[in-house]
Amino acid sequence: MIDGSGSIGELMAVWTAGPMLSIAMTLAAFLAAQWIFGKIRRPLWMPPVLIAAVLLTAVVAASGIGFEKYQQGARWLTVLLGPATVALGVPLYQQMHHIRALWKPILVTLPIAATLAAGYALVIAWSMGASPMVMASLAPKSVTAPIAMGIAEQLGGSVPLTLGALLITGVLASLFVEWGTRWLRVKDERIIGFALGLNGHAVGTARAFEISPTAGAFSSLGMGLTGIFTALLLPLLLSFAR
Amino acid sequence: MVLLRGFLTLVIFFLLGEAVRVLAGLPISGGVLGMIMVTFTLMVRGRVSDELAAASQGLIAVLVMLISPGVVGVFFIADRFSDHWLTVLVALSVGTMLSVLTTLWVMKKVAGVEGGGDD
Repeated sequence: MIDGSGSIGELMAVWTAGPMLSIAMTLAAFLAAQWIFGKIRRPLWMPPVLIAAVLLTAVVAASGIGFEKYQQGARWLTVLLGPATVALGVPLYQQMHHIRALWKPILVTLPIAATLAAGYALVIAWSMGASPMVMASLAPKSVTAPIAMGIAEQLGGSVPLTLGALLITGVLASLFVEWGTRWLRVKDERIIGFALGLNGHAVGTARAFEISPTAGAFSSLGMGLTGIFTALLLPLLLSFAR
Repeated sequence: MVLLRGFLTLVIFFLLGEAVRVLAGLPISGGVLGMIMVTFTLMVRGRVSDELAAASQGLIAVLVMLISPGVVGVFFIADRFSDHWLTVLVALSVGTMLSVLTTLWVMKKVAGVEGGGDD
């Protein structure tokens, strides 16, 4: 008995020494999430990223590896977020003829919508008496994760709270874009894609690629432009406010 | 080999993006700078190689998987923000709804005026 638990303990030590267990768990959760998502008829309020995260959380908690250990191993996968962001430039180029045809609406909409994506939430949070730390964490809510974490740190926010806000915003943006397009009778996939990327960053972009490559390209564009615009604007605004 | 060649291109552009970020002191992530540089390079070349197209398609398909480990952290730290959850939820949900509607409305208005001639 003691011997048995000893070798199991040894096995866990060997398995968690390298990143392979974290990688296996992440891959399995991703594949299972895709399968479940298809089985439950692809609901917008429960995108694959949320299913995968819930599954992973349950497994990490139940297995007793601990979040820190898991995160260390998963870093072998998450470093790919850098080149994956670069990869978004390819559909962007492939859809350039669509973007050229729509460059004026894009240039007009971007500063208004990207400012309001942060502004509405900040005004609401401020009117509810949120602390400066919470406001700083919420400010980059519509910005893609790698940029958002940088902005939150720079403004004095909490990075974990920002990541939570990002997830909620991404899921809600996909939902509200679906409702909004019906309500405002928007059928243009380019506009739908742009709204998804501008408001819902990578989660919205993953959703946009489910609609069509054109929507995906416009979402990548919206995400990239919002990231750049917000990263430049927010620190500037804050330096005036101080 | 085909995929590896495309992947190498993406990684090199990421490194170039990081270089621009650090050397120019920009608050923008290396990934986004790399994305802009890839787009411009392809525009100048006028075509995209099969290798690069295949590698980028592969990575975009697993974007959700790459985000999910970060999201797991949210569940583990959720209790740290129990005092703020109402404010956070209201600000995020109402704020996101308003900004989505604004985006769609403004874009439709401007594109409608613009697109009138083309369609």
